[in-house]
Amino acid sequence: MFLHRLRAGLALGLLIAAGPVAAQQLDDRQLITSLSQLSEAAPAIDVALLIEEANANVGKGVASQPNWSQLTHLAQLLVEIDFENDSVAIEPESYRTVGLIADALHHPNLMFYKFLVVGHTSSTGDAKHNLKLSQERADAIREALTTTFAVPPDRLYAVGVGQEMPVDAANPKAAANRRVQLINLGRAK
Amino acid sequence: MKKLRLLSGAALIATLIVAGASRADTISYADAVSALAKACGTDIKKFCTGLNLGNNQIQNCLEKNGGKVSPTCTSTLTSVTASIKQRQAAQIGFFKLCEHDAAEFCKGVMGEGNILACLLKTKRIDNGKCNQAITDAGWR
Repeated sequence: MFLHRLRAGLALGLLIAAGPVAAQQLDDRQLITSLSQLSEAAPAIDVALLIEEANANVGKGVASQPNWSQLTHLAQLLVEIDFENDSVAIEPESYRTVGLIADALHHPNLMFYKFLVVGHTSSTGDAKHNLKLSQERADAIREALTTTFAVPPDRLYAVGVGQEMPVDAANPKAAANRRVQLINLGRAK
Repeated sequence: MKKLRLLSGAALIATLIVAGASRADTISYADAVSALAKACGTDIKKFCTGLNLGNNQIQNCLEKNGGKVSPTCTSTLTSVTASIKQRQAAQIGFFKLCEHDAAEFCKGVMGEGNILACLLKTKRIDNGKCNQAITDAGWR
């Protein structure tokens, strides 16, 4: 085994697409490149604290919360994964996107790193329900990746944030706010 | 389950890859999923409604209904599954199979991704097991 550390990326580890990337535009090289851009000063993220902050701020937003605000400093990518209405069932047309993520996570550039799946909704519907549904959907993506797509479960975390962190804050009901963030949490172990 | 909508281009590529899967080339998860959606979409809608992507539920469902699903679906499932297994084995085997070449040709290179990039540039490994592992792992 090569147990050397991957040399951290030089540029500040930010690559946030303007909007979620649809399956037809996404390829695994793009995923690998985006998610490999590590910052030397990447903060450590405590997923339990993210969940705590999300639960304590239903309807109020979490972008300025101490732990959620740290996520912007990490290498990440937005993807679009569609679900059946009010359900945790991933739409078949999004299966390929989940497969692409799996391929990227199995590549040597990323295979020793931990990732966080963050599920977001738009503000349509009840905020509390949105939070719960987004957590369940993030869990469903994690489950697919760690079972069907054989990513080791100890490398993947899932958290839902409901409508509390819109990418288009001026239009909280906009479809662009429904998205999945895939975030590199740093080297495992 | 809603209608399977796939890009015909992606599906075509996936089909071509499946057709060649009996050779050394292995299939990616993304292409495996696309190939299965194309070959088994109708059967999935008929026999596996409401099942999710996780826990191999759809594959298990198709296998359970093996007598009823279309022959194209069955053969695609078999070849895709075998190809994915071959790729997984190569990805795991890479580190051992390429250890020697990495030590010889990529001395001082840090990080698995950088070592792979170095090996890919090293022509002298072209005929070895390490080279084959990289190909089968889908890392070219």
